[in-house]
Amino acid sequence: MRQTDATLEVRGLTRRFGEKVAVDDVSFTVEPGRMTGFVGANGAGKTSTMRMIMGVLQIHGGDVIWDGRPITPADRSRFGYMPEERGLYPKQGILDQLCYLGQLRGMSRGDAAKEATRLLERFGLADRVKDKLESLSLGNQQRVQITASLLHGPTALILDEPFSGLDPVAVDSMVDLLRDRLRQGVPVLFSSHQLDLVDRLCDSLVVLSDGKVMAAGDANDLRNAGPTRYRIVTAPDAGWLRDVPGVTVLDVDGPRAVLELAEGTREPLLKRAADRGLTEFAPIVPSLSEIYREVTR
Amino acid sequence: MTATDRYPQTLAPAPDGPPVPPSPVRHPWLVVTTREIMVKLTDKSFVISTVVTLAMIAASVIIGSVVGNRSSDFTVGTSQAEAAVVAEASTEVVTEGGDTLELTEFDSEDALRTAVLDGDVDAGLVAGDDGWVLLGGTEVDTDLAAALTTAVSESVLAANAEAAGTTLDELTAGSTVTTEYLDPDADRGALAFVVGFVFAFLFYMAAIVFGMTIANSVLEEKQNRVVEILATAIPIRQLLYGKVLGNSLLAFAQILLYCVVGLTAVNLTGLAGDIGWILSASGWFIAFFVVGFTALAAVWAVLGSLASRSEDLQSNTGPIITVIMVALFVGLFAEGIWLDVASFVPVVSSVAMPIRMLAGDVAPWQGIVSLALTAVAAYGLLRLGERIYQRAVMQGGTALTWRQALKLQA
Repeated sequence: MRQTDATLEVRGLTRRFGEKVAVDDVSFTVEPGRMTGFVGANGAGKTSTMRMIMGVLQIHGGDVIWDGRPITPADRSRFGYMPEERGLYPKQGILDQLCYLGQLRGMSRGDAAKEATRLLERFGLADRVKDKLESLSLGNQQRVQITASLLHGPTALILDEPFSGLDPVAVDSMVDLLRDRLRQGVPVLFSSHQLDLVDRLCDSLVVLSDGKVMAAGDANDLRNAGPTRYRIVTAPDAGWLRDVPGVTVLDVDGPRAVLELAEGTREPLLKRAADRGLTEFAPIVPSLSEIYREVTR
Repeated sequence: MTATDRYPQTLAPAPDGPPVPPSPVRHPWLVVTTREIMVKLTDKSFVISTVVTLAMIAASVIIGSVVGNRSSDFTVGTSQAEAAVVAEASTEVVTEGGDTLELTEFDSEDALRTAVLDGDVDAGLVAGDDGWVLLGGTEVDTDLAAALTTAVSESVLAANAEAAGTTLDELTAGSTVTTEYLDPDADRGALAFVVGFVFAFLFYMAAIVFGMTIANSVLEEKQNRVVEILATAIPIRQLLYGKVLGNSLLAFAQILLYCVVGLTAVNLTGLAGDIGWILSASGWFIAFFVVGFTALAAVWAVLGSLASRSEDLQSNTGPIITVIMVALFVGLFAEGIWLDVASFVPVVSSVAMPIRMLAGDVAPWQGIVSLALTAVAAYGLLRLGERIYQRAVMQGGTALTWRQALKLQA
């Protein structure tokens, strides 16, 4: 059941702080039903970009397009947002404040309470709903924060570092909840420093460096964008590969080697290798963290 | 086209799935107002302080009436027949004052003196050769002494008059003095001052207590960055409206409650015979309070948004507290032309005008004009506050000044 099918698009977004251009002509799209990872070093402009999408930071240039037209405050009101600096009311009960946030987004108090309870149950916080937020551990406060962003059945999710501070179990519950939304066609943009997590979760990737987009697109396309490399194992020694024409040897370590192959050299190479004790031959799929390091180098 | 036409209404969440996104809330300020009120009403210290204040108001009125109406039972001893007659004559005066007088006769003056010393009787009356002596222990109640003295002098005067061949009535003919009040309201004087003091103090208390509540509530959202989430859900000025309205309603309800309890107590104890004039001044006071407080509320909200920590509030709330103190002191001490002028200065008029109304006749148009001036000031301050609040509340980091905040970009 897909409830939403809208694309979030950022076109030429620019923001200056004094002389410094923090976000410089940034463009990318977040497709419906796709998990888009947003990576970049500290100060690369991720948070500023997300705050401009959410309308809490003034845009100095460019547009945010939702469903083919410029975004409106009403559109943003239906988004789910998790700001970088977490914030809820420390001295108020958990369920109470979640209901308030739901009501501000147009839910009835009853619906908000029902949905908040359901989400808190999935995070194992069902017995804490009456507690004050400040009495919870930081990790549990983070779960409440996530609940706040998912409560109203958002049409899009903008999550700034949603996984930081979560233990692996909580990360899994969170991913489950996000997958529910993705199945309904909700576009999700999340930033993270945990590149292994990004690698595991995201369908698309946007890499930001110094306020500029260094790479953006489908994660698999990005993985396969560079020249394909192969790993080969021929016992006892792979040194002979250096002399094969059309083969660039990038690394040799005993029987193992990493190669790049010129066009049309794969078949002849494999035939020769079969006589040299070939035990393994496979293309290397680079991880996104390797791509990230590559493009931001 | 309304929001409802564009967006489907909220559906109940599916049992295993999240709810359909709802349409934007129609009156965000109302949701904010409701929360502000609920948070305060479930705040134990607020509820307790309100109940304690109510109890104090009722208690002070009741104690005042008991003290004012307290009656004494006096006992006076005599050892001579003539003294007994004079003491008997003073009974009438004492009874008029609401007290009672009991007479005891002793066999000798010595027995009487012992009884006075032991406290068996409050006073003793002795006729001497050169005049009369009033015997007391350490002190004699002034009312009792006055009554006995009057009785003695009347008795002596009557005796002397008779000796001179005339009567007491002839001697004292034409000596009565009657007080005629040219302004029949003049006897309100003392009570009007008390009620005025109560008005001034209630305004002072509520303006600061609820003002600080607004400032702290704004600061809490700023400091904990909740405002970042709220700003994505509703226009930020709706947040300001909701806060100002919620706290103004609370302050209004509290003042109304105090006034109702206070006036009911005054009425029940019969402290003031006719409270109609207090009621009408109270009505004006409440109207002025609402408008005056709204004007201040916007300023309090801005102060909250300019601060970055609660310590900042202590320093930047100085000027507004000064204005409130001025309102208090003007209400208490200003007179004549100063009070007239003050009664037209917004905020200060919230105390000054009701006090003028308590003191005497003020034409209703003056009250309406003054109220309108305050309303204009409230509107102006709310619009100015809105501009600053929207900018400052999203600005983390250090505390800001008004000037810095106005220069900020949204």
